[in-house]
Amino acid sequence: MTLPTTRDIAPGDITTIEELQDYLYRGMQLEHATIPVYLTALYSLHPETNADAWHILRVIAIEEMLHLTLAANVMNAVGGQPDLTKKGFVPTYPARLPDGETDFLVPLQPFSEDAVHTFLQIERPRKAPEPGKRIVARSRAHDPEVLQADQHLDHRPVIGPLLTVPGRPEEQFYSIGEFYEEIIHGVTYLEQEYRKQGKTLFTGDPSRQVTPEYYYSGGGEIVAVTDLESCVKALQLIAEQGEGLGGGIYDGEGELAHYYRFQQLKIGRFYLPPDEPDRPTGPPVTIDWAAVYPVKKNPRMRDYPQGSQLRAAAEEFNKEYAAFLGMLTRAYTGQPQLLLEAVWQMFHVRDGIVRLVRNPLPGRDGVNAGPTFEVDGATP
Amino acid sequence: MAFDIDSSAIFPIGAATRTTPQIAARKSYDVVIVGGGVSGSILADQLSQAGHSAVIVEAGPGKDVQLDEYEAYLSRFYAASVKDNQAPYPFNPNARMPRSADAMPVTPQTPDDQYYIVQDGPFCTDTTFTRVLGGTTMHWEGKALRMLPEDFDTASRFGHGRDWPLGYDDIEPYYRQAEQELGVSADVEDQRYLGMTFPPGYVYPMRKMPLSYLDQVVARGVDGMRVDLDGDRYDLRIRSFPQARNGVPNPDYDGGKGYQPIGAISTYQVEEGKRCQGNNNCVPICPVQAKYHAGKTLAKALRTGKVDIVTQAVASRVHVDKESGRISGIEYKRYQDPSSPEHTTHTVHGRVYVLAANAIENARLMLASGLPSTSDLVGRNLMDHAYLLRWALLPEIAGTFRGTNCTGGITELRGGRFRERQAGFAVDIHNDGWGWATGSPYSDLLAIVDGQRKHGRDLRAALVSQLSRQLLLAFMIEVAPEPANRVTVDRRYRDPLGNLKPVISFRVPEYSLAGASFGFDLAGQIFTRLGAEDHTTYDPRDYSYVEYAGRGYSIRGGNHLAGTHVMGKTRHDSVTDPAQRSWDHENLFLVGGGSMPTIGTSNITLTLAALAYRSASFIDTQLRTEKAPAVISAR
Repeated sequence: MTLPTTRDIAPGDITTIEELQDYLYRGMQLEHATIPVYLTALYSLHPETNADAWHILRVIAIEEMLHLTLAANVMNAVGGQPDLTKKGFVPTYPARLPDGETDFLVPLQPFSEDAVHTFLQIERPRKAPEPGKRIVARSRAHDPEVLQADQHLDHRPVIGPLLTVPGRPEEQFYSIGEFYEEIIHGVTYLEQEYRKQGKTLFTGDPSRQVTPEYYYSGGGEIVAVTDLESCVKALQLIAEQGEGLGGGIYDGEGELAHYYRFQQLKIGRFYLPPDEPDRPTGPPVTIDWAAVYPVKKNPRMRDYPQGSQLRAAAEEFNKEYAAFLGMLTRAYTGQPQLLLEAVWQMFHVRDGIVRLVRNPLPGRDGVNAGPTFEVDGATP
Repeated sequence: MAFDIDSSAIFPIGAATRTTPQIAARKSYDVVIVGGGVSGSILADQLSQAGHSAVIVEAGPGKDVQLDEYEAYLSRFYAASVKDNQAPYPFNPNARMPRSADAMPVTPQTPDDQYYIVQDGPFCTDTTFTRVLGGTTMHWEGKALRMLPEDFDTASRFGHGRDWPLGYDDIEPYYRQAEQELGVSADVEDQRYLGMTFPPGYVYPMRKMPLSYLDQVVARGVDGMRVDLDGDRYDLRIRSFPQARNGVPNPDYDGGKGYQPIGAISTYQVEEGKRCQGNNNCVPICPVQAKYHAGKTLAKALRTGKVDIVTQAVASRVHVDKESGRISGIEYKRYQDPSSPEHTTHTVHGRVYVLAANAIENARLMLASGLPSTSDLVGRNLMDHAYLLRWALLPEIAGTFRGTNCTGGITELRGGRFRERQAGFAVDIHNDGWGWATGSPYSDLLAIVDGQRKHGRDLRAALVSQLSRQLLLAFMIEVAPEPANRVTVDRRYRDPLGNLKPVISFRVPEYSLAGASFGFDLAGQIFTRLGAEDHTTYDPRDYSYVEYAGRGYSIRGGNHLAGTHVMGKTRHDSVTDPAQRSWDHENLFLVGGGSMPTIGTSNITLTLAALAYRSASFIDTQLRTEKAPAVISAR
């Protein structure tokens, strides 16, 4: 991890506050984009079964919400405007979360071995081949599997904006960790330059910061961002919770990183401190792959017949989810106390998803409905 | 990297099964603890942190406190047709638990032997306690009120009850320790009433639980209501109750260090339950472990590596050395299978022995062991709060069934000069509606479906209209100690393992009934102010029906068991000294509610936890003295 140093650091890719805010917006987009994916898998589990998978998915979904909130805190601290209601903030699934040289698609899908495989790809800890090379050229040609998948899609997958270098769509970061590394470098550089002029980067209204009073996560604590130190702490927490600290499986707070949490599902055993990567020694993880609702992969509104109750329920869910993002936006722009209401709102989100995934799609033998998360245009 | 295991909710894997009865029998522990509930867990934690070894003998089953075990309790609760406060916990005849459904009218002179508690009357108590690892904190509601300063000398002050050998100021530091361990959510500004004091700058670990919408609706009728009683004036208001439930951590706690809530316990990282979600299921089990249970403290104790547990081990006899009066061992019966009475008998030994099994079980074990008691007070002065319920339907939808079981109520009438005449009480507003009185919401569902033949939209509309307007006021009434209210044993009544069962004789004192009568009228006035329609009825055939001054009431138990081994100043008028040490056996500590001479109007857990912390320091000192090498000085 890059830590602030006393020596002058050279500019990286971020040289202006506008560029920084652009990066942060994309960070928020990235953090949010995983939530519909994890929630769909979580609520596809049959009730009172698959407790181990349930708990693993649940914690990670909640920590993604923490990451989203941390990114909002950083955005506010540098005078930006978090906005989760902008068109395109929620990706169209399957979406790309480009990671490394090979792109892969992230679908909305029920809990399955395939889903676990995708989750591991999302959270995979990877370091760039060499420092200073955290940006690589996108090379979709290397990815026949994805290209083939594209042909069957009913929409062109969104190229980026996730993890692509803002302003340079042909380039992308090596991993989520590298993306945040670049932001940390950027804030450190910018703050250094501002200080030379007797100013500071951190001019945001402190009352917009979400503090632990208003937010709790299953693991990890919200960090109020007011200066460079707290800013770096917040950004590092996001990166470490995904992929672990310095090659270890835990983050700085002793939390098992997401990649390793998911890996427990694959290996079939829980990690216990002080386990090493890939060798968990805890109690066994029990999974019943069959105790899952057969939710349609990447459901879209057009899958639901006009005038059907399912369509109404799917529409209502999208409206409610749009309203939820609106409430989060208000919470992140001066009304942090609204996050206390988010607790029961999340129960509402759950109920909306549960209503869909437990009902069969007419005419699609053995396939159930699911939430589409098509929120653009879904007016609350 | 360093993993901060001390602040986590990790239960060390294998810790609950690392000893066997055979291994434990060969060891000599510093302290032998009977009961893995809140008192036993606090003592095991404190004493093992201080370097002493301990073994816990637990009657109920329990492997490692693992999430799947906890969730098996939840599943059992979801599937249970009768959702009483023991519904999540498996039926276990070898360590049988009293259940409220066991209560029925007592026929004089012919006690019913079919349940665990043998009720000798005249009143039948529906009191319960839970015999699993974690004890009754598994099913408790989690209210964590301190006792009032005036509760500690009610005999001198009001002529009722007994004086404590300790005062509020003696216990206050231990209250703070207990509030930290149990994780209490409250605001000091709200709790500074009727003489309760806090050191300057003290804040509770977490901010108060917000009042529910129902509380706020009731407050519209209650706030500003004036009660004149014995020349004193009380201005009532709805106040938030302190609760051992994870809320919003107060950043000012511990001199600005803040507080880290402890959530669900498991052998692997779960990260659940660090905040209450308002499931309204505190009793009989919190679905996410946001409510404190003793497993949280037990996990901490076991992480020291100095604590062993033997489960499925029902303590059956306390052995005493006749010459010295010292305890020499605890004998217990170990069963392999809860459904079979087959068992083996073992004994564990230590320097100090602690009975932490609750007020009924501690007394039962002492009496079954035939231990001498100078004061003849073992088993006497049994107390539990008397609850009077009164229920009504509000004129508007009030959001009943949201929030925790109870968030707010009336506390002004807990204390005052009127206590010379009648008992004090605290009033709970029940966010779980009429559940306690009528079995709502299940009973409403049956009535609407079977009785009114409604379905679909009509059914949903009827449920909302009927449930969301329910208001139940529960008056938690002080019960003063009376020697005739007691636990005894009788050789005729044994459990399947051959252990003597507790026999209870109980009568609700007139002093408490005077409080109940006043509360009944006060509830009526509150209903009138709210425009609520009274639905209260008490059935004379009810097991807990009592008459007082021309009116009849049903009185429920609160499961706040106390008084069976009261503490006091001398061996002639009490069972334990102020450190909860038996007057008759210098290496025996009787801890828990049983040591409390009075219970005032506080749910007892916070106070008994505070007493456990206080006793831990005395036991530590005693162990250090006993373990120190003898110094023989030549003169």
